[in-house]
Amino acid sequence: MTMTRTLSMESYLLADADSVVARARQGDETALEALYRAFEVPVYNLARRICRTTEDAEDVLQETFFEVCRSIRGYREEGSLWGWIRTIAASKALMRLRRNKYRDTDELHEEVVGRRKEDTHLRMDLEAALERLPEVSRAVVWLHDVEGYTHDEIAGMMGKTPSFSKSQLARAHARLRRWLGEEVIS
Amino acid sequence: MSHLSIETLVGLREPGTEPGTAAAREHLDACSACRAEYERLHQRVARLKALPSLRPGRDRWPTILGRVRSERRRRRARFAGVGGLAAAAALALVVGLGTFGAPEVGASPAEIQQAMGRSQALESALDRIDPESRVTDGRTAGIAQELEDRIARVDRRLEMAELMERQARDAELLRLWRERVGLLDALVDVHVTRASNVGL
Repeated sequence: MTMTRTLSMESYLLADADSVVARARQGDETALEALYRAFEVPVYNLARRICRTTEDAEDVLQETFFEVCRSIRGYREEGSLWGWIRTIAASKALMRLRRNKYRDTDELHEEVVGRRKEDTHLRMDLEAALERLPEVSRAVVWLHDVEGYTHDEIAGMMGKTPSFSKSQLARAHARLRRWLGEEVIS
Repeated sequence: MSHLSIETLVGLREPGTEPGTAAAREHLDACSACRAEYERLHQRVARLKALPSLRPGRDRWPTILGRVRSERRRRRARFAGVGGLAAAAALALVVGLGTFGAPEVGASPAEIQQAMGRSQALESALDRIDPESRVTDGRTAGIAQELEDRIARVDRRLEMAELMERQARDAELLRLWRERVGLLDALVDVHVTRASNVGL
């Protein structure tokens, strides 16, 4: 399912991808820019959904495509081009979280936002609720539910266990359900 | 009977069968409240996927291109003076050693620091060599390029290793830093050999 999605997205974003990649491998700057223009928005979108600030997301965008330009000769075409770029972007975004050392433990998160009567009358839209999740939880939700990564893959990128990824996903959905004011089973 | 937890409902979306999955599915079939919760979960994920794409506020391409060009210039300068036979010998040595894959057990921060220090010293040695004015043959450039590519790959794995749990991370960091030192050693060797060949 993931492969079908990435392939269709790739052909939609970049016509004649094979030719562009071949020229990019030779260092053709026009081809490298074509790659950037084709995947700029999905890479930034992924980065922005994971990172806390627009500045961090733009830095991840820059780091991702610098890496793409450096490594395109080593791209083996074993998966889709978008899948390859997306994995670089996800790794850079997760690295950014780690480097920034966001204080992201659940305990602290509850301490900071737990006083906002989240369990009572607050209804949020999905965008705001997603933004409000702790960074790691938000990253897991986005990578798993939207980008289609498995828990094993997420665990590998985060240096954690699949159980950690599953647990973060479940907690995140419990929170989203509360914040969105969805009915809770009694 | 108690309803399914959010953990169980989230897990039911996964392919494969974990312990308890069959019983959970049986409950889901029989319980309208849990089915409604499961449906809400699916709808929430569908809404996440339908969120509008966010776009960067600035065009980052000029900056990226500037960095790419700058790196190319540095690379050309670095490879310009590499001696062909020496480079081949050095690369063969690096490839032939085959010790980089061995896991490091009980890596200490001091060992990692030592390897990092050695790597930095070798980087400095490479920077001091200025082969910009020299001409190099294609074979030499290819070999040197491969060494440089392998160093870049190690750098990427070093970044990834930073995300690992501490014990595994330290062992991996030590292994990668040592691999990096080996590759840099090879580059320095070919530069030094090239310099002595031309009587510098």
